[in-house]
Amino acid sequence: MTSVRVRNLWKRFGQQVAVAGIDLDLPSGKFIGLVGPNGAGKTTTLSMVTGLLRPDQGSVEVVGHDVWRDPVEVKARIGVLPEGLRLFERLSGRELLSYSGRLRGLPGAEVDKRATQLLDVLDLAGAQHKLVVDYSTGMRKKIGLAAALLHNPEVLFLDEPFEGVDPVSAQIIRGVLERYTASGATVVFSSHVMELVESLCDWVAVMAAGRIRAQGTLEEVRGAAPSLQRAFLELVGAQGRDTGSDLDWLGGAGR
Amino acid sequence: MSAATGAPAPAPAPGAAPGAAASAPGLVATVVRLKLSLLRNGLRQSSGRRAAYVASAVLTLLFAALLLLGLIALRGHAHAVSLVVLLVTVFGLGWAVMPLFFPSGDETLDPTRLVMLPLRPLPLVRALLVASLVGIGPLLTLLMLAGSVVSVAHGAAAWTVGVFAVALALLVCVALARAVAAANIRLLSSRKGRDLAVLSGLVIAVGVQLVNFGVQRLGTSGLGELDPTAAVLRWLPPASAVGAVDSVSDGHYGVAAAQLAVSAAALALLVTAWARSMTRLMTSPDGSTLQAAEPSAQKRRGRAGPAARLLPGGRTGTVMERSLRYVWRDPKTKAAWVTSLAIGLIVPVFNALQGTGSVYFACFAAGMLGIQMYNQFGQDTSAFWMVAMTISSTRDAYDELRARALALLLITLPYATSVTVLTTALLGDWAKLPEVLGLSLALLGAMLATGAWTSARFPYSIPQEGYKNVAPGQAGLAWIAVFGGMVSAALLCAPVIAVTVWLNVSEGGDAWTWLLLPAGAVYGAGVTLLGLRLAAPRTAARLPEILTAVSKG
Repeated sequence: MTSVRVRNLWKRFGQQVAVAGIDLDLPSGKFIGLVGPNGAGKTTTLSMVTGLLRPDQGSVEVVGHDVWRDPVEVKARIGVLPEGLRLFERLSGRELLSYSGRLRGLPGAEVDKRATQLLDVLDLAGAQHKLVVDYSTGMRKKIGLAAALLHNPEVLFLDEPFEGVDPVSAQIIRGVLERYTASGATVVFSSHVMELVESLCDWVAVMAAGRIRAQGTLEEVRGAAPSLQRAFLELVGAQGRDTGSDLDWLGGAGR
Repeated sequence: MSAATGAPAPAPAPGAAPGAAASAPGLVATVVRLKLSLLRNGLRQSSGRRAAYVASAVLTLLFAALLLLGLIALRGHAHAVSLVVLLVTVFGLGWAVMPLFFPSGDETLDPTRLVMLPLRPLPLVRALLVASLVGIGPLLTLLMLAGSVVSVAHGAAAWTVGVFAVALALLVCVALARAVAAANIRLLSSRKGRDLAVLSGLVIAVGVQLVNFGVQRLGTSGLGELDPTAAVLRWLPPASAVGAVDSVSDGHYGVAAAQLAVSAAALALLVTAWARSMTRLMTSPDGSTLQAAEPSAQKRRGRAGPAARLLPGGRTGTVMERSLRYVWRDPKTKAAWVTSLAIGLIVPVFNALQGTGSVYFACFAAGMLGIQMYNQFGQDTSAFWMVAMTISSTRDAYDELRARALALLLITLPYATSVTVLTTALLGDWAKLPEVLGLSLALLGAMLATGAWTSARFPYSIPQEGYKNVAPGQAGLAWIAVFGGMVSAALLCAPVIAVTVWLNVSEGGDAWTWLLLPAGAVYGAGVTLLGLRLAAPRTAARLPEILTAVSKG
């Protein structure tokens, strides 16, 4: 079963090619990591897959429906936590969840019940009446995650969900996501932290310079390399870049 | 960190700061160079900015030259000193207020940026004070102060004191700006403080009105009007320094000495306060990472609860609730609303009060408030993605736009009606009330319709900080949207306007003008619905493009 199917996806910004014709087949019910260095095109890809950015060319299907031709079917089935976009920050955490759930057409009582539970689990209950604008980075990610989960989507797209998040919040987010995938849902998240991806994901797609360099189960992508980090460096061709020789004054007794 | 090695390093070595008396002039030069580089690099960023800077510099210099000439011409005038002290006080106020409004205008103003450097507060204070003297603002102040002294100094003694007074007053101004900036940096780097700064633009607008009023009074009653005020101001630093020059001219040496002492004491006090708050800033955490105090949760919930229950269910009520909350909580939206509400009231009512107005001016309220429908999605900023994720059909887009229009009507309808009734009452022209009200409603409808359509077709970003309401590069877009929209709104109203004119000029038409109230209301409602219908498919089809357009800045 494929939850996300991408064919020949392209995006250019002026002269710069952000995404250069990628194909992806992401299996459903898996914890999927989209990894790559900064500027590899991860955010652009996720934006196009979730319908927030129009591709120049190519097709995207999520749970069997075309994102651009059949948004009614797709938008109700996916949850998104983008990176670099704001939330409605002048609402309190609880108001944001209430707004987001009702906007998706869920009954009010159900929204309030789910919001209470999500706020509890994500350890935001104490800050639920505070405006989101006064939240820390970790709290923002958590409230964004809560808003993305509220309508119980089949596929969850998270762009850098652990970026700038403290270890405690990261552990909470991790717990929620693991519980969520265990129920058969799919999580697709982007990250440039290999250790994290390696410990969380069963399926990995490696992206660099707008192209997919490898995709498959964690074992397949890692291959003979001792860690995903090593495999990744080999894939993007950053292996053996020696920085040691030029900075010989750094450290040591020459102070 | 190991102790300083004593190497003759040009820059202060780590750990050498305590005994760095010798490097103090070096520090001054470094900070001045830093300021010049910041200025130069700021200009290098874009040619538009360079042009704006050069233009503003030329204008300022021109203004300074005129000011200087005017002050020199004032020499010998009986009330010269009154005007001069007032002028210096106004400049002093300007220096005090400026850092509050343009916190990012001068990066050397922000001592938190220097916090990682091994510097002691006092040498740093000296260096920053000197660096502050570089720039157009200080030059303008210097010229103004010089002119002030020229206009009041008589006799060699006065001239000597004058030179001293100029330097003293200038330093007080600069130290004032620095002290205020340092004292408020925590406020400025917290969310609440920045919110206040956005709203305080309104205070300036009102202040300008007051100054305008004052100048008009002066124009009618002469400079003598100022004397009582000046009697107080001449003891207030920095004006007291210039007051001292006048006192010397009159031979009151004791008074002059006292006045100079007041300014000098103020300078010492400001520098001390500044140094102290800088020490505190450099040794305590950044205000932006501290959590702002919150009003109690109970209060907030109580405010929104019952009102929210009156709104309709589903998307309509949800969107209305969010829009109305944003009118109150989002500083940009709030400022726009307050401006619209104020101008919509002031123009018709003040004109009516002066007896020059016409009842038709009351339509201004509807027009001003209708502007709020423009660029609806820009007001969301990039948070629009949350909306975009839930719009999957034209129907959703229609509901979204209609809910936003309804939220707007909830405020606009009673407000425009009250302004119209108030204007009519002031002018006593009750016969015209129905037609003016009808016209207002038609205009409001046309504004909502064009607003909805331009929101979908010409969205643009509203930067969340500072005073700009358009992101760089989108000014043309904003101009097309607002100006084009208003012209089309006026054209859309043409049928109602034509009928109004026709009924007024035709014989016996007056008996039927009451019909314009229902006709205008129906026309306005119809146009609004039509506008929403046309805007909805555009919105639904252009979601990614709208998101890109509103996510800049």
